[in-house]
Amino acid sequence: MTDTEAGKGWLGRKLKRKEDYRLTTGKGNFIGDIQLPGMLHLVFVRSLHAHAKIVNIDTSAAEELKGVVAVIAGKQLAEEILLMPQPIVVPNIPANHPTFGPLAIGKVKFHGEPVAAIVARDKYVAEDAAELVMVDYEMLPYVGDMEAALAPDATRVHEQFDDNIQYESSLTGGEEIADQEANDVRVAKIFEEADLVVKRRYRCHRCGVTPMEPRGVVADWDHAEGLSAWITTQRPHIDRLALSDILSIPAEQVRVMAPRDQGGAFGTKAPFYREPILICHMARKLGRPVRWIESREEHLMSISQERDQIHDLEIAARSDGRILALRDRIIADGGDGCEGVYWGYLMPFLGAVLLPSGYDIPNCDIKLKVAFTNKAVLSPARSFGSYPARFAMERAMHTVARELGLEPTAVQRMNLVTEFPYTTATGFNYDSGNFIKVLDNLVEKIDLTGFRREQEEARKQGRYLGIGFGLGAEASGMASEVLVQMENQPGYGAAMVRVDPRGKVQVCDGDCSQGQGHETTVAQVVAHEMGISPDDVKHSQGDTDNTPFGCGTIGARAGSYKLSAVAQACRHIKEKMSRIAAHDFSVSAKPEDFDFIDGEIIYRKDTNIRTTFAELAYRIVMTPLDLPEGEEAGLEHTAYFEAAMPMICFAAHAAIVEVDATTGQFEIKRYMTSEDMGRVINPQIVDGQITGGVVQGISNCIFEEFVYDDTGQQLTSTLENYKLATAADVPHVEVTHAPTPCPYTPLGSRGIGEGVPGPVPGALSNAVTDALEPLGVEITELPLRPNVIWKLIQQNRQAAE
Amino acid sequence: MYKDVTITINGEEYQEHIPVRLLLVDFIRDVAGLTGTHVGCTYEGVCGACTIQIDSEAVKSCLMLAVQADGHEVATVEGLAQDGKLHPLQEEFNEHHALQCGYCTPGILMNAEEFLKENPDPSEDEIREALIGNLCRCTGYVNIVTAIKSAAEKMA
Repeated sequence: MTDTEAGKGWLGRKLKRKEDYRLTTGKGNFIGDIQLPGMLHLVFVRSLHAHAKIVNIDTSAAEELKGVVAVIAGKQLAEEILLMPQPIVVPNIPANHPTFGPLAIGKVKFHGEPVAAIVARDKYVAEDAAELVMVDYEMLPYVGDMEAALAPDATRVHEQFDDNIQYESSLTGGEEIADQEANDVRVAKIFEEADLVVKRRYRCHRCGVTPMEPRGVVADWDHAEGLSAWITTQRPHIDRLALSDILSIPAEQVRVMAPRDQGGAFGTKAPFYREPILICHMARKLGRPVRWIESREEHLMSISQERDQIHDLEIAARSDGRILALRDRIIADGGDGCEGVYWGYLMPFLGAVLLPSGYDIPNCDIKLKVAFTNKAVLSPARSFGSYPARFAMERAMHTVARELGLEPTAVQRMNLVTEFPYTTATGFNYDSGNFIKVLDNLVEKIDLTGFRREQEEARKQGRYLGIGFGLGAEASGMASEVLVQMENQPGYGAAMVRVDPRGKVQVCDGDCSQGQGHETTVAQVVAHEMGISPDDVKHSQGDTDNTPFGCGTIGARAGSYKLSAVAQACRHIKEKMSRIAAHDFSVSAKPEDFDFIDGEIIYRKDTNIRTTFAELAYRIVMTPLDLPEGEEAGLEHTAYFEAAMPMICFAAHAAIVEVDATTGQFEIKRYMTSEDMGRVINPQIVDGQITGGVVQGISNCIFEEFVYDDTGQQLTSTLENYKLATAADVPHVEVTHAPTPCPYTPLGSRGIGEGVPGPVPGALSNAVTDALEPLGVEITELPLRPNVIWKLIQQNRQAAE
Repeated sequence: MYKDVTITINGEEYQEHIPVRLLLVDFIRDVAGLTGTHVGCTYEGVCGACTIQIDSEAVKSCLMLAVQADGHEVATVEGLAQDGKLHPLQEEFNEHHALQCGYCTPGILMNAEEFLKENPDPSEDEIREALIGNLCRCTGYVNIVTAIKSAAEKMA
């Protein structure tokens, strides 16, 4: 990197990632790579049944195996530690938060629930011992259907509650019941008088975004220092507080570290799970380091399951396509609900809040019920709760348009929010943007007009081509205003920036990357602000001992919150450096009179007055003599960025498919996106987030599905039968942009990435529906598979005959 | 049951006394301490994160016992760069942002290195077919395909 490259212009540049050298040479440092002397291996014994009473657990044979250090089961563990829930990981939302421990007590509630654990010197021996643990079960009726589970006489998943309703509320009409009822009556009246009412049941299947690296924990105990734990996590600071509470260890004696590298997360590593509690407890109890590396089978049985929702959705529209009202009765299958922070219901909750998406629909009546069932708890998956909601909403918008004989994009466009700030009927704030610009960009680039001509020609030849659009407003992180209520934690971005005496910059960050490239984008922001090279910036993250409180790498927060905090901290330090420079040069200058460019600090009014960034840093840190009055030595600052207005980024996706009507097979011929991510920090990283998110969305929509049989046996616990899309299964994703800088962040940036899969099911299912319109096929359920499409074609043909 | 083996990894010989049931991937990671080779599907042979080469042929090291590699030459991602110079695949993966979390990357590199020897001028479809044994969850494969294509051009 030459000096002339340094300085201005680091933002928006395709800077090659700093992370890549180590990751392409085998020098990454993932949880599985951490070795401590004398480290023991923990293996879980997991339930073979979905719902059963534990009659007896015989661990004697396991204990006798050579190399086994400890065996523990639920009842004994419950005498040694506290149980969940702990207040730090309970949202401020009225819901039922079940009592549970890391190991089942009394009964098991899903196939795969941890029942006992083995600690051994060798992981192969630990696996052997796990097979020797004999558990006697007495079967209980399986509660597997979310609608049946909500019946008052249904078998209860948790005896501590009166029924299986974990959460039930109206998301519209205000807090008071009377206000909600008045709202419902008002909305009902609009429905009665509307030109068109479309009512459908939309169903999204259970799937998620399992990352390539499963979870893991390495815990160590020191009598004086306390607990040190490396955890695959998206929020080490919350983990620290939760572990402190549940293990009754003073917080200052708990240090949580996210490994420097994590193999993806996409939401799955955000909850406070039961397993780390046990690993940390056993390390303390045994006084030896303990490691647990989750197997893929454990992972697919217990986490990364989401999206399981039914929407009975209705739209009232005017004959010109204007939407007048929206009504939805949503049910979600929350599984057993045992999971810190999210408890299974927060995903459908946010999905319901974001249901109106980018549309201006002031009249909404949206209600949600979340059921406990004997399945794994819902855990977050990128496009958190919104994937099913987007599917339902975008399918319904397409149907409204076609019932009125209109082009779907015309109806979508006519109903988009155009004035900002905007508050949805569900109380969610949209700060700024230009939604119509995003959609128009897509319609133009995919050449909708040209496609319609091509489609008409193809139909004459008996070929079924279709185009579908899916839109969505994604939260670019969430402010404290939302997160304090929703997750009982703040939402600000935080960063500690330190300039060392050599003029190098260290950024300490309480969050942690799982592949998002934060080391690179943070360095770009510092380089931009300080006028130095990104090579001179070091980003340290995820260690609770030396970073400010981080709210977590969740919900696309980095681009909006974290990077804003980095910029703020840099600006604070620059002002101090400018004040001292003015003093040293004896000029009466304001901080903004100094330019920080190419490693130099230059007085704008007389460019002969200049010093290097490194010299001034040395002078302030190492020779703090003759400082201006009231000025302290040192050059570091911790900034907290709170959004003045909760940021969003808007996206539109389009898919073009060709369906083979004889088999139901379909090919995605093109897939194109259009986004507003505000001012871009690194275009390559942004585009990578989008292509990756789209393919996850496609994979969820077409291939992935968690299947439980009639007795609750989970049949999809390997990647052989829980199929992820391969390179040969998916199209080349075309990414386009239509940005509007965000006025509420110091750099104009918006976070993007979390919500990318959201518009995919709408785009794909609308495309298939559009292709098969001559046959009268309408998609209302996911997954979108050839057998389902073929069956729908047959049904419609029979009905026509 | 234990057995003595001699396994060469990246040109270095490891003479070890190992349990016969030890998987090759665990030998590479735990005995040789070369942790660039990853475990993603936990020994199902589906994800490809553990892909290495044995006698220049790409294989999934979770589907082999270490004793089966006795007397053979193993190559892992740590041996891909030669004399401090990155392999064109490594350079192009960086250039084209073909990795995010990097967990699947070593396996893909080891697979692609063999693939380009067999097919030095592949089409996009051929590259996508060649990648079906390697799952990536972050990138959507777009940039991986571009990077492999670009590396092929650089190596021509």
